Amino acid sequence: MIRDGLAGHERDHFDWPLFIGAVLIGVLGVINLYSATSVYSGARAELYISQVYWLFVGGILGGILVAIDYRHLERLGYILYTFGVFSLALVFVLAKDVRGSARWIEFGSFRFQPSEFMKVFLVIALAKYLHDDPRNEGRTLRDLAIPAALTGVPALLVLKQPDLGTASILTLVFLTIAAMTRLRWKSIALFLGTVVAAAPIVWTYVLLPYQRDRVTVFLNPEGDLLRRGWHAYNSRVAIGDGGVFGSGYLKGTQNQFLFLPDQYTDFPFPVFAEEWGFAGTVLLVSIYAFLSLWGIRIASQAKDRFGAVLGVGCSAILFWHALINMGMTSGVLPVVGVTLPLFSYGGSSVTTVMVALALLMSVSVRRYSGVPSLDRL
Amino acid sequence: MKNLDPKRARWIRIRMGILCGLMACGLGAIVSGAYRIEVEDGKDWYELAERQRQRRLHITPKRGTVYDRNGAPLAESVEVPSVSLDAVEMLRGIEERYVPMRSQQYAERIAQVLALPVEEVAEKIGRRRRFAWLKRRISEQEAEGIRGLSERTQRHPIRGLVIEGEGRRFYPNRELAGPLLGFVAPDGLGKEGLELSLEHELRGEASEVKGLRDRSGRLIFADSVENEQSLAGHNVHLTIDKAIQFTAERELAAAMRTYEALGGSIVVVEPSTGEVLAMASAPGYNPNDYSSSDPDARRNRCVVDRFEPGSTMKVFTMAAAIASKSISPTATLYCEEGNMPIDNVVIHDTHPAKWLTPTQILSLSSNIGMAKIGLGLGEQRLYEGYRRFGFGDVTGLPVPGESSGVLRPRGRPWVQVETASAAFGQGISVTSLQLAMAMAAVANQGRLMEPVLVKRVTDSTGLPLFEAAPKVRRDTVPAHVARLVSEMLVAVTEGEGTGIEAAIPGFRVAGKTATAQKIDPATGRYTDTHYVASFVGFIPNDRPRLTIAVVLDEPMGGTYAGGSVAGPVFRRVGEMSLRYLGVTPRGNTPMKLSEVAEQAGGDIAESTYQALGKGRAGEAPAPSAAPPPAAPVRIGEVRVPDLTGLPARAALKSVTELGLSASIEGTGRIARQEPAPGSVLSKGAAVKLFFEPPS
Repeated sequence: MIRDGLAGHERDHFDWPLFIGAVLIGVLGVINLYSATSVYSGARAELYISQVYWLFVGGILGGILVAIDYRHLERLGYILYTFGVFSLALVFVLAKDVRGSARWIEFGSFRFQPSEFMKVFLVIALAKYLHDDPRNEGRTLRDLAIPAALTGVPALLVLKQPDLGTASILTLVFLTIAAMTRLRWKSIALFLGTVVAAAPIVWTYVLLPYQRDRVTVFLNPEGDLLRRGWHAYNSRVAIGDGGVFGSGYLKGTQNQFLFLPDQYTDFPFPVFAEEWGFAGTVLLVSIYAFLSLWGIRIASQAKDRFGAVLGVGCSAILFWHALINMGMTSGVLPVVGVTLPLFSYGGSSVTTVMVALALLMSVSVRRYSGVPSLDRL
Repeated sequence: MKNLDPKRARWIRIRMGILCGLMACGLGAIVSGAYRIEVEDGKDWYELAERQRQRRLHITPKRGTVYDRNGAPLAESVEVPSVSLDAVEMLRGIEERYVPMRSQQYAERIAQVLALPVEEVAEKIGRRRRFAWLKRRISEQEAEGIRGLSERTQRHPIRGLVIEGEGRRFYPNRELAGPLLGFVAPDGLGKEGLELSLEHELRGEASEVKGLRDRSGRLIFADSVENEQSLAGHNVHLTIDKAIQFTAERELAAAMRTYEALGGSIVVVEPSTGEVLAMASAPGYNPNDYSSSDPDARRNRCVVDRFEPGSTMKVFTMAAAIASKSISPTATLYCEEGNMPIDNVVIHDTHPAKWLTPTQILSLSSNIGMAKIGLGLGEQRLYEGYRRFGFGDVTGLPVPGESSGVLRPRGRPWVQVETASAAFGQGISVTSLQLAMAMAAVANQGRLMEPVLVKRVTDSTGLPLFEAAPKVRRDTVPAHVARLVSEMLVAVTEGEGTGIEAAIPGFRVAGKTATAQKIDPATGRYTDTHYVASFVGFIPNDRPRLTIAVVLDEPMGGTYAGGSVAGPVFRRVGEMSLRYLGVTPRGNTPMKLSEVAEQAGGDIAESTYQALGKGRAGEAPAPSAAPPPAAPVRIGEVRVPDLTGLPARAALKSVTELGLSASIEGTGRIARQEPAPGSVLSKGAAVKLFFEPPS
């Protein structure tokens, strides 16, 4: 279907492994969402259907993106970026309060989360900037000032929502891309020093109390089990309840009996881990690992720098989402609100992930049409 | 990468490799984290999960219903919703510094719905317990309001509010049988009466189950129990008849008011089965509102209170004496004209007399005559006789606090004067129930039955688990002796007997009055002002359906004699109960003589009327206390009454009572008699009765 929309030589280079990996995650995600929403209480049992709708919407959008050459996006780069930043600012005006944080823009019954799309917009903008900056020698931190500013504006807006998770993702995506540019070793050292120095300031002045709490709880999870540690604790109970082979599909009690918080948005991983056990966990992590690494591979084969940065950025989006989400639910990382790609319920999230996968595909199918440009990164 | 120089290409590959490696490490950390949780520490986490979802649930199953013998509920449990608070759940996820503000907001909203003081609710939230009752027994409206508060569609739904059905005990007949039934405390445990003694049956078996629960603590399903019905308590069907119970209580209350008595009790028993039809105790209380009742009113006086019975014991002394042949029913005893000193005590009679037959000793309630009979019987045999009738022993009725009564208060055999007074019921103590059961034994051909209060126990689905069968406790006296004594007892309610006020028109009533002096606790001596008035008897005499014991404690207001205080209560309860049971007065139930003989047990009827006849024949002059009736015939002669149309048994009785003998021909009703009605015969002469079946 997506493949048919491509020109002949592109069709020959259709990236089947990427496609199969994406389909696998999508299918598992819906199956798992069905379990997560068909809990004993019967609440929200219809959600998996709308998730399928969103997968279709994302699929169609993705199909269009694969069909048109990704290089057209280069021209749109800053326009999309400006639109994204503008919507983020709009959130503060139009926001609906969901549990103390304003993340949504609503149009009638339809609402979306600009912070989700912002991730892709930022990647495109960064790709355009680096593409237009044909430097080949090692970069200094000063050279990265503009990309950093491009990242900083939306990241701060998101942080003010407050959404620590998405802000972290934006920052990490930027850092991943920056790491792939040629930085001087001195610059890297300087950067790391700055991070260490800035951490206490961020801790005190930027983070909100509840965000600080989450980190404290992460460092000392047993300190406050019943209130602030509840999420982290229960998600680990659920994962541990799964054991090696899991308690079986639809039989995870921690999920079914509502012990898990937000099991269909931020905590679908414990649901999966409880019902499929360690075996399922390894499978799931492997698929995410494959998609991320395959994305880097696509980037390395991209025919121009724009495509390469796009590939690295989209892989980074997938990778950091998967890592932070699974990390926070299994107690490896502190709890921040980050979705698990195609597992978490949500139109904005699903569409964003589908777009990121489509961009990877778009870069991949056109990897031989032109001169490889990775060396210029 | 074709056009790249090899150095650059390698450098790029290294960077890509490093990035891939870092990514793989990151996700590897996830896998290792998952491995630690799921495989290494899997068991620990699994146990934590078990602990979370598995609850040893303390289920209070629906308490069984108590029914009367006709299936009318006397005590039943109604599910009433109650709302409790899980404050931990309510405040979960709320930042500490917002907790006071949120608690206050929640408290205000909850208080508004439940009409409670805001401070009280806020205080309960502030305690932060996993469980606290907010309000018990809320209305459906309030429950609806609470559900609304916790609705997820609300802007700020309040979590941690739990509505659950809580069984509330309800007594639809209010005061009816209150002291017998008892009540259930809010913790679901029966506290008094049958609610206490039948706790095991009513409460149900499983009170603790292992089950799965969801986060809000709701039971999902239990390990071993599929439905809650099998957990529910059993239903108990009593032998109590609501209608008779009601009549007994009403009449008892009326007598209490009339005679300003301290208390009273009525026991109604079916003699042939021992089933207790009514057990009234006054003053009573409404178990629906037990907390506002006087604890004294909660006592079931029928079984708990023991008292000196007085003259009613003469019945059993007489039966024991006749059974042991220490006195002949035809003998006459000299009754010392009202005063008889024994040791240093003088026994008095209220109706002083010289010579009395055993029948007259009972009907006139002569203490002296009875003392002589008792002394003739001897201490040992009198004591044993009483024991045989069940005195000094608990009856074993499933009611709490049953008293056994005391036959030998000093713990040693009676001395002579004690034997004499025990013979007419002084110096010993009994319960109303014991009296009723012993009298029922007389009515039941000497067979003492075990009292039955629980007729049937069924599980919550109606499946019978237990069915009470009439059980003979022991044979007290031979059947013919019991028959004889019951005939003697009819004299109490006839003529110049002390129990004339207990007579029920149309029926022959066997019974005995008692007016027992109470001991003044201050002096330790019998008072002349405080009495226990009682009447114990059964009806109808020829085919006893009901044994009724009426006991009134300290009747005042001028009258205290058992005959005039308890007698009328007996009459009214008996009359109404018989009518309710559909027992019609004589004349309406034709009966074959053969049946009569069969019922009476072979030749018993014969021996009875012979004994009575002889007794009457050799009768001493009527006691001086009552003037002799105007005699239309000379002494030693009687006028033959009109007997036509009477059933055999009744006719037989009137003939023998007159001191005549009867010869019988045919069956059915009397068609004619020889000699004709109105003719005068000397005592002992025979009357020929010709029976014909009714057309």
